Amino acid sequence: MSAFAAILRKDLRLELRSGESTIAMVALSILILVVVVFALSQAGARGTEAAAGALWIALLFSGMVGATRALGAERENGCIAGLLIAPVDRATLYLAKLAAALVFMAVAEIAAVILMVLFFNLSFDSGLLRMVPILALGLLGFAALAIMLAAIAGHTRLGDLTLPMLAVPIYVPALIAGVKASAVLLGGAPFGAAWTWIRILIAFDVIYTVAGYLLFEHVMAEQA
Amino acid sequence: MNRNFIAMLGIVTALLMVAALYMAFLYVPNEATQGIVQRIFYFHVPCAWVAFAGFGLVAIAGALYLWLGDQIWDDLGQAAAETGMVFCTLVLITGSIWAKPIWGVWWTWDSRLTTTLLLWLMYGGYLMLRAAADETPQSARVAAVLGIIAALDVPVVIVSVRLWRTIHPAVLVTRQGGHGLEDPRMVATLLVAMAAFTALFAWLLILRLATLRTRARLNRLTLEIALAEAGD
Repeated sequence: MSAFAAILRKDLRLELRSGESTIAMVALSILILVVVVFALSQAGARGTEAAAGALWIALLFSGMVGATRALGAERENGCIAGLLIAPVDRATLYLAKLAAALVFMAVAEIAAVILMVLFFNLSFDSGLLRMVPILALGLLGFAALAIMLAAIAGHTRLGDLTLPMLAVPIYVPALIAGVKASAVLLGGAPFGAAWTWIRILIAFDVIYTVAGYLLFEHVMAEQA
Repeated sequence: MNRNFIAMLGIVTALLMVAALYMAFLYVPNEATQGIVQRIFYFHVPCAWVAFAGFGLVAIAGALYLWLGDQIWDDLGQAAAETGMVFCTLVLITGSIWAKPIWGVWWTWDSRLTTTLLLWLMYGGYLMLRAAADETPQSARVAAVLGIIAALDVPVVIVSVRLWRTIHPAVLVTRQGGHGLEDPRMVATLLVAMAAFTALFAWLLILRLATLRTRARLNRLTLEIALAEAGD
């Protein structure tokens, strides 16, 4: 557990000092929301369905940057070799990386939610608070999957380019569930109305967190 | 892999395929409402079956590779993914050809169509990973993990996509499944076509696997020669 805390603290401190990942992710989220508003017609850019869709596109692609950076930053300066030599099992390393990525993604997500409210003329009300668990589940599922896939992508000559092609199709069920649940809650429905979709998100999160925990050693094994 | 066995399997496949073609085009009667278009069903359904079987094999081969570490499981994973991808592409194409006259559109976001498309995309990613990775044991392990991760997604995809479509208003409610086969000749044709495509799939899979095994052996020999020469 202390190894977990040590890696997490290192990642958070690094990010507090450089801000590289979070700034890139926030900037990308803003750009995606702007692009979606431009891409939709005047009528289309209103309403909770479009807002929920835009928010989840932002989550998906800024999350991709976060997952890439989670391991990419370690590779660039050779830190990964140190991490792999350290007496830390891969599963703990995975959980620490997952926790750090979640923190950065949450920051980007908060920025995206605020912008979504402004761009799509929604209001800051309790509907947003009720969305918190949905977004948290969506982020956890994506981070659990994408950290794993980013490690896999690191083994290819194409490198980070591979990540979207692996992550997007697999993430689709969680994306569908997340968009639907968000649209339901933004529309003012009670939390229970989104329960069907929340169950799918929970299932996805459990599957990929457990799979990542068990399989991470295979994708990080002899790499340095 | 035994040469004679592969040749025999090839002959059996050819015979079954000729029989399936004869039955689908000449023997089986026209379906009452859909007419001649329905005949594509006898190719479409067997393609779907072997495509899904291929993808299942990728995950099983991946798990066996991680467990046992034998190169043959890695080769099996690659061969199954490539062969499965071919048939998955055929499923999407034959489905579109059928959907245009019957549903009036080439594509609709029906749950089965969406699930098949997602599988196709996932295994496209899997094959891309394999193409962009070096041939090392580490890459093989990574591919095995991806095969497992993708297969874990299939149940979640099926459930979520079905809910997504039931809650949305369904534009097209026509559902053509296996139960529409009122004539026994249709059942017979489907069974023969199933056997023909299963044999074709197995034959292509084994041919591809044999090629991969030969390539692995060639690589090993090249390495041995290089080492021997370096030793002189």
